[in-house]
Amino acid sequence: MASAESDKATMAGKRKRQENGEVSKKRRKSDAGDSDKTTHTTITETIPRLEAEIQESRKHYNNIATLVDLAQKLDEDPKVAFAACEALCRTFLRLLPAGALIKRKDASEKDTTVTNWLRDRLVDYRGALVALLSNKKLAINALTLAMAMVKAEARHLTDRPEPVFPRHFFADIIAAILESPVDTLRDYFTTNFIRGYDDMRFYTFEAVATYLTQRENVDDQTRDIVFDLLLSMDDVPASSEALDKFFIEPPQKKKHPLRSIIQHKKQVQEAWLALMHLGLSKAQRKKVLGAMATTVAPWFTQPELLMDFLTDCYNTGGSTSLLALSGVFYLIQERNLDYPEFYTKLYSLLDADMLHSKHRSRFFRLLDTFLGSSHLPAVLVASFIKRLARLALNAPPSAIVAIVPWFYNLFKKHPLTTFMMHRVPRTQEERERLESEGMDDPFLPNEPDPMETRAIDSCLWEIVQLQSHYHPNVATIAKIISEQFTKQAYNMEDFLDHSYGSLMEAEMNKEVKKPPVVEFMIPKRIFTKAPPGSEESDSLLVSLWDFGSSS
Amino acid sequence: MAGSQLKRLKASLREQGIIGPQQSKKQKRKNAEQLRAQPDKRLQRHEALASIREQFNPFQFKTNARGPKFEVTTNKPVGDKAAMAIKGRPGLSKAKSEEKRRETLLVELQRRNKVGGLIDRRFGEDDPNLSLEDKMIERYTREQMRNHKKSSMFDLEDDDESAGRLTHMGKPLFDDEEEGDGAHDDFDEEDLPSGDESDTSRAERRRLKRLRLEEAAAEQEEEDGQPERKKTKKEIYDEIIAKSKLHRYERQAAKEEDNELRQELDKALPELQALLFQQRPKEPSKETGAPEPPLVIAGKDKATVDKEYDIEVKKLAADKRAQPAERTKTEEEKAKEEAERLKELEEKRLKRMRGEAVEESEEEESEEEKDEKKDDAHDPFQAEPEDEDEFGLGKGVKYRPTATELGLDDEDDFLIDDDLVASGSDLEFDSDDMESEESDDEASGSESGDDEDDEFVKGILSEAVTKDAVFRAPENRKGDDENGIPYTFPCPQSHDELLEAFKGVDVTKHPVAVQRVRALYHPKLDSRNKEKLGRFSEVLVQHVAYLGDRFESNWFPTLESLSRHIHSLAKSFPIEVAKAYRAHIQKITDDRPLGLTVGDLVILTAIGTTFPTSDHFHQVVTPAMLAIARYLGQKIPQALSDYATGAYLSILALQYQSFAKRYVPELMNFCLNTLCSLAPEKLPERPGFFPIHESVAGIRISGARDTAVRQLNCNDCLPQHSLSPADAASLKVAIVSTITAVLKSAAETWHGLSAFHETFTPAVTVLQHLATSPKSTSNLPSQLTTKLSSTATSLSHLLALSRLSRRALELHQHRPLAIRTFVPKFEDSFDPDKHYDPDRERAELARLRAEHKRERKGALRELRKDAKFLQRETLRIKKAKDEAYEKKFKRIIAEIQGEEGHAAKEYEREKAARKRKARRG
Repeated sequence: MASAESDKATMAGKRKRQENGEVSKKRRKSDAGDSDKTTHTTITETIPRLEAEIQESRKHYNNIATLVDLAQKLDEDPKVAFAACEALCRTFLRLLPAGALIKRKDASEKDTTVTNWLRDRLVDYRGALVALLSNKKLAINALTLAMAMVKAEARHLTDRPEPVFPRHFFADIIAAILESPVDTLRDYFTTNFIRGYDDMRFYTFEAVATYLTQRENVDDQTRDIVFDLLLSMDDVPASSEALDKFFIEPPQKKKHPLRSIIQHKKQVQEAWLALMHLGLSKAQRKKVLGAMATTVAPWFTQPELLMDFLTDCYNTGGSTSLLALSGVFYLIQERNLDYPEFYTKLYSLLDADMLHSKHRSRFFRLLDTFLGSSHLPAVLVASFIKRLARLALNAPPSAIVAIVPWFYNLFKKHPLTTFMMHRVPRTQEERERLESEGMDDPFLPNEPDPMETRAIDSCLWEIVQLQSHYHPNVATIAKIISEQFTKQAYNMEDFLDHSYGSLMEAEMNKEVKKPPVVEFMIPKRIFTKAPPGSEESDSLLVSLWDFGSSS
Repeated sequence: MAGSQLKRLKASLREQGIIGPQQSKKQKRKNAEQLRAQPDKRLQRHEALASIREQFNPFQFKTNARGPKFEVTTNKPVGDKAAMAIKGRPGLSKAKSEEKRRETLLVELQRRNKVGGLIDRRFGEDDPNLSLEDKMIERYTREQMRNHKKSSMFDLEDDDESAGRLTHMGKPLFDDEEEGDGAHDDFDEEDLPSGDESDTSRAERRRLKRLRLEEAAAEQEEEDGQPERKKTKKEIYDEIIAKSKLHRYERQAAKEEDNELRQELDKALPELQALLFQQRPKEPSKETGAPEPPLVIAGKDKATVDKEYDIEVKKLAADKRAQPAERTKTEEEKAKEEAERLKELEEKRLKRMRGEAVEESEEEESEEEKDEKKDDAHDPFQAEPEDEDEFGLGKGVKYRPTATELGLDDEDDFLIDDDLVASGSDLEFDSDDMESEESDDEASGSESGDDEDDEFVKGILSEAVTKDAVFRAPENRKGDDENGIPYTFPCPQSHDELLEAFKGVDVTKHPVAVQRVRALYHPKLDSRNKEKLGRFSEVLVQHVAYLGDRFESNWFPTLESLSRHIHSLAKSFPIEVAKAYRAHIQKITDDRPLGLTVGDLVILTAIGTTFPTSDHFHQVVTPAMLAIARYLGQKIPQALSDYATGAYLSILALQYQSFAKRYVPELMNFCLNTLCSLAPEKLPERPGFFPIHESVAGIRISGARDTAVRQLNCNDCLPQHSLSPADAASLKVAIVSTITAVLKSAAETWHGLSAFHETFTPAVTVLQHLATSPKSTSNLPSQLTTKLSSTATSLSHLLALSRLSRRALELHQHRPLAIRTFVPKFEDSFDPDKHYDPDRERAELARLRAEHKRERKGALRELRKDAKFLQRETLRIKKAKDEAYEKKFKRIIAEIQGEEGHAAKEYEREKAARKRKARRG
């Protein structure tokens, strides 16, 4: 038991350790007395009796030690332990408001000893409660007890008028919650305390941050738990005034950190940073990047701290880059982040998978912003246009639908690039050479620098090809670049969110009212081969596919 | 000028020299002579008097209230009447209107409540300008003209000539009454050649007439001195009349002769007719209208027979068969017509391909909409908010942030697991039956298509004729032919019913059964059959998919034949068939977009042959093409069967686009991806911009050096879990071989496209890699390697060609649009009183309204004046009446008084006499 106690002591911190040294003798004595009493009778019956006796007079304070003992015997009989915990909770909840645990300078030596002894028991009791949190059945009840204790201790453990939050105890609780195998406990804690009370959130994330920084090796599971916890924090309080839900009574001072939104944010930010220092998996990174704008960034008082994280992600390539783009852009725009060769990097994102990615519309929204400036060099814009046109040759219809109106807008904004659609040979020699030799595409598809691709000298043959796309609407949209540019601009939002499914839905929603045109010739053969020697020729399908006609 | 009005008048009269100091007789005479010498002096005098009258009547003119306008404000000439601000002459206009009323209103008033009367219509009776002689002359000419118009020159019957005869004192000028015959005209001249009525002799006649008159005149002159002048004249006339009578008789005789001849001809007409129109069937003599009496049927009188005859004729006229049938056409004409029809159909197809509106086609509406929208887009100043559905893209993906974040939005994601394929086929079986319940409410009123002479209809019709017994026989008699196929079937209205009906029939005989159903329920046999067959065609579509899912290798002729039956039915029931196909596509989309079954493949193939795939938009083909492309674009093949299905769909997509040559990006993606994945060795670098999926372990070809190259078949599309290595290798080689062929065919289809070079360069790279890399050559059969390299070569030829034919784009050869001007339009001569309403309609309306108001006021004013006039007149009449009455009354009183006074005097006298008598007495 002493060893258990010392374990707890290390957890509790320095101040407690000093106390322990002082009252060790006294406690040992009482321990001996307790054990004699509790060996007989059925324990369940004794617990209410013990509790009642404590209530009767200070003589029976030794019963507390007995109950603590019972509470610590979690492995043997969890029900008893819990019953003991309940009894202890009630006891302490009575003792604490009575001031029995407050150290006073003017108190007699005897009283001081009793107080110290009681405080030691309290520490023991805390340990028992925390241990109970990892029990599957009793965890939530234990949490309720623990939180009741936290509340009482904050108010009554010191004689100061303002409540003093028991940080160490709470840190233990948080650590236990994070490490606990019980998922429902965490959900319960999140919904009832973190979301319910602003101060609880504050202290929780403070504890989480210290937990993450002080532990040497946090296992992946805990990391995931912390990650999910942080990601679930999506309702950022708007201002300091919005902080009005307090578990413990609110502090009087206006300047108190609990009253300040900045401090609140800082706690979450610290927790995030601590987690990021530990490193995130790829999936987690994507999740963070995806939620960056909605749940992560708003908690950061200094978003610059995310700079490294974002630039790292952005440089990773692939879809992670796509996701990091908005964060990087935010920093560039708002925090004056200097990202060298931003457009080169952006250009490199336009790879073969880009138009097939599910983040396509998100990317296009950003791309529209990045290339929105009319002060960009036309060469650069042309490179982007040409590259996307190349990609469109292998793109799904939904992507083509988004690209072409965007091209239109760019052409309107950068008239120099319209040479890509209309280039008349100037000299006779040029014309003759074109007639005799044809021409190669001057565009260099493998050039990484968008300023060097020579796209401005190229033409958009790709889009002209897509004017004969199999889907009528796509073909119609592709035709806008060869019609007169009379429209001011297309609204991109109308074209971004399409997919095979939505296109199909649009087709199928059209009711068949008029009889459709039917092929006027009924083909002689569909699956069978024409008999040899006959004049009919096989269709492509029949010539390439074996329909078993030969067998 | 001072003095009274009278003095002023005198003065001004004196000034004008109208009155003056009294003149002596001598002077007066002299003046009168002068006046006679120059008559305008009288006019002068008149004018002077008028001006004086004007001067002394200030109310004669209506003027501006504030006097004449200043010269500055008007540009009208100064001396003008208007400039003098005379706006009207109230006195004059009043007098005029009074006069007019007296002429019209007063007459009406006087004629009120009176019935009848005489209207004098004699010419010029009320015209004072005409002298009596003129009037009479005019009247005479009119009368003459009237008569002249009435009678025609050759009207023999018109003998009443008295109207046109000149009279004197009520007696005719030429006294010939005693002859008792009014007939008397120029033809009656004795010297006229008889029997000649021709016009050619008219001039001759005239000449003769002239001669004759001269003769008569000479005779007259000769006999001038003789006493019996009158008699001789009469004799002359007698002669003339006698001759004319003779002449007339002769003419009558000639006419009769002619008539006889004509009747003779009429009699001979039937024979003549028969000679003229030999092919026309000889009609009964009754109908020829011959003069002989119609055959009277016993028991019926002639009237009823005639009536019946009329009815019959009418019936015959109404009969369709009586209409002239079209001439039987020669073989050449038929061929020409057919060629023209085909040409027209082809033109329509091309139009649809270009997305133009085809009249009487279902695209019309949508195309018009599109056109309208395009027009909107053209108008730069019509900056209306962007129509979301301008391009008919639909609403797009609903925004689901959380779902996207959680990776549920699998639309464009490649991480789709494979179990869809397995589950899809199971789903198919259940949903197949469910489909039959839908679309019950369809209207089946589609026009039965043009009965083409395809073999189906032929078969049906001939069968219907041969199996006449079946139709006549009672339904319970069920005959089976030698194959065990019953002759009669119920018309299946759902797929379950069809399965039930076709239970005993071998699958390969289903086409025969279908043919029999179609024959039994041919729309011509019963009006309800149309609806039934419509449903049946839908069921047939389901059945094809059903059979496709359970296919056996010898079923494909059956499927083909069924598909062709559907095609032939689609001509009569296009909406039903299209709906059935669309329902199937919808089911694919909902249940298994990436797990197509063989049934789906068969259906997609059938769609491609039933409907024109070259159309710009087609209600069935477009969704089908989208479904194909979706599979090709999104499926990440996990098993060899996926590759095989994809290969089939690639061929199908290419076949769809073989005519319109539209580009299918997904096809390139799939083919290249397949080649890359199956290649024995990974490509050293990315060959192009198509997305590459990592190939599944064990999918690359290895050790297939000795495998024979075969064709793919539908069994390869079924998911097979345990393939022997040899089978797998054979399948892989078959896939690569097919894909290579597809690529080659695609290149041939699309070589005209503008970005052909960019599209197919990666293909060449991939093919060359497969054909030449050492690991490939060692692992692939040499036959395939040759095929690969030959394809690569032919592709590179095409690439070189396309490079040669490439030109810089010149897309914007448009006529420059005029920039709309915003300079305001100025009015040169602006008049503030005028309304410059730019809206013409509104301006017109305002003008009309003002006019109406003006007219209304005028009318009211006139009515008021009328009323006043009437009042005045009635008052005048009343006064006149009263006056007359008063006069009469007074006269009577005076008379009575006179009588009384006379009587009183008598009495007085009598009394005095008596008194005197008495005194005497």
